Amino acid sequence: MTTSPTIQDRVDAALPPSGDPLGLIGADGHQRETALLHLPPDQVLRELHRRMVIGRRLDTQATALTRQGRLAVYPSSRGQEACQVGAVLALREQDWLFPTYRDTIAVLTRAVPPAEALSLLRGEWHCGYDPHQYRVAPQCTPLATSTLHAVGLARAAQLKHTGEVALVLAGDGATSEGDMHEALNFAGVWQAPVVFLVQNNGYAISVPLAKQTAAPALAYRGVGVGVRSLLIDGNDAAAVFAAVRDAVGHAAAGRGPTLIEALTYRVEAHTNADDAARYRSDEEVRAWLARDPIRRLETYLRDRGLLDDAGLAAIGAQAEQLAAEVREAMAGPPDQDPAELFAHVYAEPTAALAAQRDFLLAEIAAEGDTP
Amino acid sequence: MTGTLEEVPAQAGPTQIDTERTVVHAPGIRSALGVRSAQDEPVTMVGALNAALADALAADPRVLVFGEDVGTLGGVFRVTDGLAARFGEDRVFDTPLAEAGIVGTAIGMAMNGLVPVVEMQFDAFAYPAFEQITSHLAKLRNRTRGQLSLPVVVRIPYGGGIGGVEHHSDASEAYYVHTPGLRVVTPGSPADAYHLLRQSIECADPVIFLEPKLRYWSKEPVPAEPGPAIDRAVIRRPGRDVTLIAYGALVGTAVAAAAAAADEGWDVEVVDLRSLSPFDDATVAGSVRRTGRALVVHEAAGFAGYGAEVAARLTEQCFHYLEAPILRVTGFDIPYPPPLLERQHLPGVDRILDAIARLQWQDLA
Amino acid sequence: MPDFLLPDLGEGLTDAELVAWHVRVGDHVAVDQVIAEVETAKAAVEVPIPFAGTVTAVHAEPGTTLPVGSPLITVTADLPAAARSAPAAVQPAQPSGNVLIGYGTRPVPRRARARRPSPVPAAGRPAVPSPARVPVISPIVRKLARDAGVDLTRIAGTGPDGLVRRADVDQAIAALSSEPAAPPLTVGPPISVPAPAHPQAAVARRIPIRGIRRATAEKLTRSRREIPEATVWVDADATGLLAARAALNAQAPERPVSVLALLARFAVAGLRRWPELNAHIQDDEIVIPAHVHLGFAAQTERGLVVPVIRDAHLMSVRDLTAALEQRTDAARAGRLAPAELTGGTFTVNNYGVFGVDGSAAIINHPEVAILGMGRIIDRPWVVDGQLAVRKVSELTLAFDHRACDGGTAGGYLRYVADCVESPLLALGDL
Repeated sequence: MTTSPTIQDRVDAALPPSGDPLGLIGADGHQRETALLHLPPDQVLRELHRRMVIGRRLDTQATALTRQGRLAVYPSSRGQEACQVGAVLALREQDWLFPTYRDTIAVLTRAVPPAEALSLLRGEWHCGYDPHQYRVAPQCTPLATSTLHAVGLARAAQLKHTGEVALVLAGDGATSEGDMHEALNFAGVWQAPVVFLVQNNGYAISVPLAKQTAAPALAYRGVGVGVRSLLIDGNDAAAVFAAVRDAVGHAAAGRGPTLIEALTYRVEAHTNADDAARYRSDEEVRAWLARDPIRRLETYLRDRGLLDDAGLAAIGAQAEQLAAEVREAMAGPPDQDPAELFAHVYAEPTAALAAQRDFLLAEIAAEGDTP
Repeated sequence: MTGTLEEVPAQAGPTQIDTERTVVHAPGIRSALGVRSAQDEPVTMVGALNAALADALAADPRVLVFGEDVGTLGGVFRVTDGLAARFGEDRVFDTPLAEAGIVGTAIGMAMNGLVPVVEMQFDAFAYPAFEQITSHLAKLRNRTRGQLSLPVVVRIPYGGGIGGVEHHSDASEAYYVHTPGLRVVTPGSPADAYHLLRQSIECADPVIFLEPKLRYWSKEPVPAEPGPAIDRAVIRRPGRDVTLIAYGALVGTAVAAAAAAADEGWDVEVVDLRSLSPFDDATVAGSVRRTGRALVVHEAAGFAGYGAEVAARLTEQCFHYLEAPILRVTGFDIPYPPPLLERQHLPGVDRILDAIARLQWQDLA
Repeated sequence: MPDFLLPDLGEGLTDAELVAWHVRVGDHVAVDQVIAEVETAKAAVEVPIPFAGTVTAVHAEPGTTLPVGSPLITVTADLPAAARSAPAAVQPAQPSGNVLIGYGTRPVPRRARARRPSPVPAAGRPAVPSPARVPVISPIVRKLARDAGVDLTRIAGTGPDGLVRRADVDQAIAALSSEPAAPPLTVGPPISVPAPAHPQAAVARRIPIRGIRRATAEKLTRSRREIPEATVWVDADATGLLAARAALNAQAPERPVSVLALLARFAVAGLRRWPELNAHIQDDEIVIPAHVHLGFAAQTERGLVVPVIRDAHLMSVRDLTAALEQRTDAARAGRLAPAELTGGTFTVNNYGVFGVDGSAAIINHPEVAILGMGRIIDRPWVVDGQLAVRKVSELTLAFDHRACDGGTAGGYLRYVADCVESPLLALGDL
């Protein structure tokens, strides 16, 4: 005879296992013991490392492009590669990724071509890729609004029995938005197959976590609405991969949503036009650089004989090659036809819109008449 | 909670049918109760909306209906009465009290191939969802260069005249029509309510469907043939002397005003816009060119209200045919008044007739 | 040889101080290699170069301040695919530079296209510049005034505060056309200018040539300018004509015939024999239509109009009488459609109603001839060798000498005169 779960039962089910973040590979590159996460296989670890190296190189390249006037803005995720890569590699092909504007590396890791992925930041189109083709939702500036979209998409998958899981990324600042709370609540009520990954990098532009919330940890935002939660070391790619993989499996099995808080750090400023020195100290940055996600995994792989200099060099070459592709993609003229501004307001342009389009095209043609 | 999207057969209905609450349905439209009724029997607007939802749910397994209190209760105005029982809770269901959540998850469901028809319980309660509606619902097709299609309908009971306390009588159409990418439609009658809602659900664009709650209990037969297209205005009463443009709850008022105007010697043509955005320039400008005089009536505040757009458009398109300036008869530029004063605020037949009188008739030879 | 210009480094920078070079002339640089350190108002920033190549020149000494957009370093680029030119987005001093969320402001370009001043249509300007804009009751009435050539400043509006109403414009239009004007197809008296009330304080009155008057004037001028016309005339004994008319009308008074209709019938009949007079000249050709669309001059309050009776060659005298009457009434009421005022191939003109005999009429361009009839009055005439008093009228034919010669014109006029003199004998050709 089973009794219905008590409140305490439900709290225990949703709470993160402990106040310490879970991890598999420490900052020193040594493996940590934990029963709650499973170390990924060697081939996955190597792939995590390779993709992080590439991701960092592309991040640096994008920052450089803003300094050369080729991108309008680039919110860097340098230092957050473990989340960017670890979470995406944990997805299956049928799953959906809902990225924020800082998750370009995740979008690129999901194999969206650079020209398409960077179209938004270039100022070319609001979204340069077909979401259905890559199962990646468009990036945009509003925060936390995508959490609701992810829950809705997951709910539809549930109703249609098609099995895909939605992974939605959010930052620490986004967790203050009402939409985030509503999304967690809906996900809980529906037991929707959605995974929330909160990359807590300590700052929302310049506002530190202490001013953002009094929550004991962002992972505790789940227990209040009955959503199972985890707190992990966000600079540990193996832990990120394992936690997301586990959560995806949980959701795919119909056992509901998961909220994962991953502790990490935003090494660069908010964007290329931000001055981070105004709100944080060099020591803090240096302390986090010592916990770099790539270096620790490299150390681990070398210690285990899974990576050597030649391998590293090869990865570096690949990264350079991809960086060159990105530069190439951004070097040409933008692919824009002003007439298209009117083409997708509705499924079919109205007569009034067509008239406005013709008006603009005439204006443009008149400009061309001047010597 | 698993569920299936196959149509629930009509027999699998509730075991108890509340015969006290008569929701009567016209031929060719099936009610949530699966009852066909005699031809020409008048239907309330609530009944027409109910039938439209039921028929849409039956016709397309991708259609969902959700919101606050729409499932078990059948909606605070009974518009969704009986639907959950007939189609099951995977298709018609209650949500948490979170309007942004309702619209945001609807967007996600539409991204994944479903056709959500959501309800905002009252016009003013849609404001928490305003960001989702204007930043995302209206823009995701455009944002993705046409790759994402969001066939979502947001039903909103709107407008005053029912003696509601504050926040229950807003008319916020101006905010939505000013947002490119949204369709905004509003029926003035039960027949239009049925067909416009069906068309809105079938439309590939997101639709803000404004339901004039003042007219929820008006009755008329609903013909089986679909009415005009979703983007067309309709001339409800032809006339020679002046074009009276109205929508939603005030269509009925406009028709009454036209009848009264006949006694004073004016032959008034009443145009029911139906679609606030996009706007049917051809029909409306065509009418004004014929009559030379135009009046727009709406209950929302006049300043920067919908009537301003109509007046500007018609002035541009019909300038040389005009015998008088285009006048607007609207609510005052005040927050909606308390119930005991709302009659003073809402445009009625008298205010419309007074406005007609100001259309420079003395200039006729 | 691309120059790398000092880019804006964010936050509204206008210049930066070069702190140190990280490369020298002759060094090879790689893409994104840091080539210099500059100091902004905030901090020292490392500047990566967007293309690879060999440094050929550096453009500043450490310690100097450079404006954003000025050349920093010149490099011979290695790779054609690399970014050669300075990025288009690098801005000179004034714009904001990169902002948190985008490229920032850009300098406003000079006007992109030359504006051709749109010609103000001459008809739109009042002849006398008006000091202020006249309030008119509605756009439709304003347009009415403009189309009729009415000067709004000369109207005393009867609406509140002098608002010009439709009735005021209608009155002004009527006043325009009722001013005495010479029948344009005759050599008549010039436009009369009313004498001033006090001759000592003589003030000229000015009548603008607008609207219908203007249109007619232009047509007449063109006719005289283009057409080398000649005129033939003949007096004809119309006694028989009048008798015939009286007989016809006695027989069927409800279906009367008019003198003008009889003349028109003879004119049309004559055109069958002399079709060149029904023609018009088009480029180098004389085009002779198969039909006769007969115009006739009608005097109305609005001025001279020439209604056209289409296919007059198919009409009887009674038909023509009715048509003439109907169109005359319509013309006087202003109800003729534009289609009824154009397309004529030949014109007849009864100027006898003005009490004169002859006229060197102006041809109704682009027609080639116009037939006129003067007053019918008692004149001495020789009948069978005896002097008698007969009803005599002068017929005139003005014709375009390019379309035909005197023989044709004379022959035609003689024929018409014969018909007038002997309607019975004219039967042979009708």
